[in-house]
Amino acid sequence: MANILLVDDDTKFLTATTDLLQMLGHTVKGASSVEEAKTMAVAGDYTHAILDLILPDGSGLHVLDALNAGNHNLQVALVTGHASIKSFVMNLYGPNIKYLIKPIDLEQLNAFLASTSGSGQPGQDSGIKKHFGHLVGESAIMQKLYEMIERVSTTQANVMLVGESGAGKEEVAASIHFASQARGNFVPINCGAFSTELINSELFGHEKGAFTGAINRKPGVFELAQDGTLFLDEITEMPIDLQPNLLRVLESRKVTRLGGTSALDVNCRVVSATNRPEHEIARDKKLREDLYFRLAVFPIHIPPLRMRKDDIPLLVDHFLTDLNLQYNAKIGIREEDLHRLCQYDWPGNVRELRHCLHRAYIMADQGTGKIRLPERIQSPFSRLETTQNNGIHFGKTVEDVERELIQTTLEHLDGDKKKAAEMLGISLKTLYNRLNSYTNTCADES
Amino acid sequence: MKRSTSALIHDIRNPLNTISINAELGKLTLQKTGDVAKAIQIFETIIAECQLCSKRITELKDSLQDEPAAETLLKEERS
Repeated sequence: MANILLVDDDTKFLTATTDLLQMLGHTVKGASSVEEAKTMAVAGDYTHAILDLILPDGSGLHVLDALNAGNHNLQVALVTGHASIKSFVMNLYGPNIKYLIKPIDLEQLNAFLASTSGSGQPGQDSGIKKHFGHLVGESAIMQKLYEMIERVSTTQANVMLVGESGAGKEEVAASIHFASQARGNFVPINCGAFSTELINSELFGHEKGAFTGAINRKPGVFELAQDGTLFLDEITEMPIDLQPNLLRVLESRKVTRLGGTSALDVNCRVVSATNRPEHEIARDKKLREDLYFRLAVFPIHIPPLRMRKDDIPLLVDHFLTDLNLQYNAKIGIREEDLHRLCQYDWPGNVRELRHCLHRAYIMADQGTGKIRLPERIQSPFSRLETTQNNGIHFGKTVEDVERELIQTTLEHLDGDKKKAAEMLGISLKTLYNRLNSYTNTCADES
Repeated sequence: MKRSTSALIHDIRNPLNTISINAELGKLTLQKTGDVAKAIQIFETIIAECQLCSKRITELKDSLQDEPAAETLLKEERS
């Protein structure tokens, strides 16, 4: 999200635009004079500045000088009444300045805020291709995914994305929306995040007074995604008894707000996602069969990162470029570290890779200008998986399993023996006896 | 002293700008929060800005009508 400095002497415009941008999730600071803006320019680390050309005590261009002195990644837009001012200012300040022509609308603002300094700053742009504006990777398996996105984008079919956690399901959903060139919005919601009581209201909206606490009319997500894409993440976490309601909307293509009397037409593509494999969805009855077939007209499997390790160098490059832009630095990676990243299995997928790089970036060696990886790359989730897989297998003695269970429990509880005994369902005394016997065994073995 | 035509045109663009941005804000407010009270306040700003815009257009019209009249007066004085 952008960090914006907004300068305009028209207070009504200033207030409304600040409100609008904040509602879109950006951080905004407003100023109504050159003097005020100059003070703010020094104090904040802005990504974007929107400047009115004519201010009571000077021009927005005066603010520009103060802003440019300390921040080379800043994107600047001048608010002008007429497009003809463009060529005049361009001669003075170069082509990197953008323009917002009055009357300004959301489309102009969004187009400006989507721009990053990468386009205007040679050397900062890594030149990595982002497929459909979201996806990075050139491996054969990703090429197949791109082809599927392209194919489905030309149709109206509902898509179900199946992939492990962190594999980029929301990015793929956004790519489908991007490729569809839909007129409406991309509306992502997480079905696992809603309480059972509120999920219907979130999906279908409600009229004022429909239930206690419904003080205003609220549109549902189907309405918000009209002519666009509705992304239902973690669809398998939706309570099974509420699924018929969703099915009804998908079948009738009509939605009625809670407490409402008239039905509204629904026209949006529904992209749903789950991290459960299809056989598990069917086996555990996580989705009604009829709903599954409505949602999964076109299922797409997103490959886990370990199946496209060739893409790791590209992804690393992409994330480091992003971080360098964010922190205005030039941190790189050593060849051997890149090799280590390529060797690891990434159970948390691209999300885990990004987090690992961010941490290593913060810990970077400023002397060499390279990121510093931890000695062992490991996520708590991968450890859990390893422990679970290694726990019980044919040929192990009961004693071994018991010992492993006690040790793992203690490890997870940071050595708290009292809690471990409670969790294991044994007395503290028994736990101590067991631990003592292990110590004695170790001593005997050595 | 009467204001120049370009200054009057500039003065019309400002309320239009406020109308445009408030319309976007109203739309987003209803879509995202459904806060009707806030939306009503936004629409009131839009109505006030429309009236201001209308006033400015009248001023501009008057100024444009005055200009040829002043020119005729000057010509008559010269002759």
